[in-house]
Amino acid sequence: MLSYRSQKPPVDWAAYAFVALFTAPFLLFNIAPIVFTAYLSFMKWGIFGPPKYVGVDNYRKALENDQILISFQNILLYGLTIVPGVLVLGLMAALYVNNRWPLSSVARVCFFSPYVVSATVIGLVWVWILDTQFGIANHYLGYLGIDNIPWLTSTDWSLYGVGITSIWWDMGLAFVLILAGLQDIPGDMYDAAEIDGATRWQRFRYVTLPMLRPVLSMVITLQLIATLRIFSQVYVMTSGGPASSSTSVLYEIYTVAIRNQKFGLGAAVSMMLFVVILLVTFLSRRLIREQST
Amino acid sequence: MNPLAYLKREYGMAVGDIPVWIVGLAIAALWIMPFVWMVSTSLKYPGDVMTVDIEWLPHRVTFQNYVDIFTKYPVWRWTLNSIIVAVSATFLCVMSGALAGYALARMNFPGRRLLFVLYVASLMVPIEVYAVPMLLGIIKVGWANTYQALILPSVGNVFSVLIFRQFFLTFPRDLEDAARIDGAGHGLIFWKIALPLARAPLIAATIIIFVLNWNNFLWPLLAVFKEEMKTLPVGIAAFTPISGTATQLEGFALSMAGVTVLCIPSVLVFLILQRYFIQGISSGALRG
Repeated sequence: MLSYRSQKPPVDWAAYAFVALFTAPFLLFNIAPIVFTAYLSFMKWGIFGPPKYVGVDNYRKALENDQILISFQNILLYGLTIVPGVLVLGLMAALYVNNRWPLSSVARVCFFSPYVVSATVIGLVWVWILDTQFGIANHYLGYLGIDNIPWLTSTDWSLYGVGITSIWWDMGLAFVLILAGLQDIPGDMYDAAEIDGATRWQRFRYVTLPMLRPVLSMVITLQLIATLRIFSQVYVMTSGGPASSSTSVLYEIYTVAIRNQKFGLGAAVSMMLFVVILLVTFLSRRLIREQST
Repeated sequence: MNPLAYLKREYGMAVGDIPVWIVGLAIAALWIMPFVWMVSTSLKYPGDVMTVDIEWLPHRVTFQNYVDIFTKYPVWRWTLNSIIVAVSATFLCVMSGALAGYALARMNFPGRRLLFVLYVASLMVPIEVYAVPMLLGIIKVGWANTYQALILPSVGNVFSVLIFRQFFLTFPRDLEDAARIDGAGHGLIFWKIALPLARAPLIAATIIIFVLNWNNFLWPLLAVFKEEMKTLPVGIAAFTPISGTATQLEGFALSMAGVTVLCIPSVLVFLILQRYFIQGISSGALRG
């Protein structure tokens, strides 16, 4: 019996059949295109003729292209707008629903529901809400004495118009993740704090917040990556305009590759975005690990 | 009975909590007002939409906008395309993900670890990064404007594998051993025992992936350039006043009818199965 235990378990050859059904499309449509993108980023390729090797030319062109540089600057601004908005609102909504007061399950559905509808719905509804002349946003801001804001039609505001819309769309995910984190905090920790005479604020500051730290870090990372990938809202709401003021990196890739058919340049910008995403992922993982030790 | 005493006994609420409770409910209601405004606008006559006074409840109601989007634009066809694409992509993704998740959790084979690392690592490369080069490949093999081009790239969604792997890791070994003694192989165990018991991850994976596929935007936008092969989100997106022309002609009443139709399936699925939906999202993403 002992000798049998120390042996390696037999190989289940059938396993390869089990994983094949998923792995075949996965390799063909998720992995191969990544390799092809890396290859294309070193090629010059339009609609005519075969691709031609040009070294790092595409990367140099990308770094000299004002539009593309603006788009990288814009996703940074989107990040600074959307990530704090989603985090703060998601945390407040989760703390509220976690009280389990009457009707809190209805509130949960309300806060989460924008997350389940498509970019087209979000985009078109908010184009209407943020309409300069007849939109309800400006109508109600008017009661506060604020003049009509050209949310989506001026270079100063368009990025924030799309940003506010994205906060509304994305908050639901942060909200349910933080809510799940709150429910994982053991109740006796609060009981102990209460016995020590901690006020509500002290309980939040010294029990809830430290216990939530891993979840909050994860929410920030996920939202940051989602924001670096911002595209659909931009496409539907502003087409990146006016004058590139709300454009994003993916919108520029779309313009360069699909409209202008510079496939090599598009692939190079894609690789640059990929590197930024990797950096953000690793940096935030590292920060989380350092904080938790 | 005293309502304050009731709230205190049943919910542990103090008197000071009541204003917070009411303000919170008001904010929750405010949060879904964009949807209310969307439906309200879609029921108005186009001439009643652009008004200085805000009319939440239309003083006269019409369903003409809904008739118009289905008769003036190929919305039936887009809906059909969306159903075909979302249903088949979801079915393939969930079934292949259940098999792969089971194998990763319960079967022993060389390369298991490598495969798992590859799946998880691929999560760091979003489809947007490689969508255009993939499109070039799809065009090269003559798949532009086809259903397979819309369906197959959505099958390899790693979320499906991860949710099933996690479930099957906690699956009781005794059941499997009993079946093994009876001479059942892994195929039989999977079909007869494992899958029927995996109801919760099956429902969660199916509805979450269905909603993702139904809402999918970038890839269908790229892969299709024939009007009759568009999916619903891409087709309706042309009703924007900026990049499309439809709204400039018809106004917001029509576009709000379009997006109301578009969000019905995902909102229904979410409302009916929200418990599975929220649990699946929070458990799946926490490990991602």
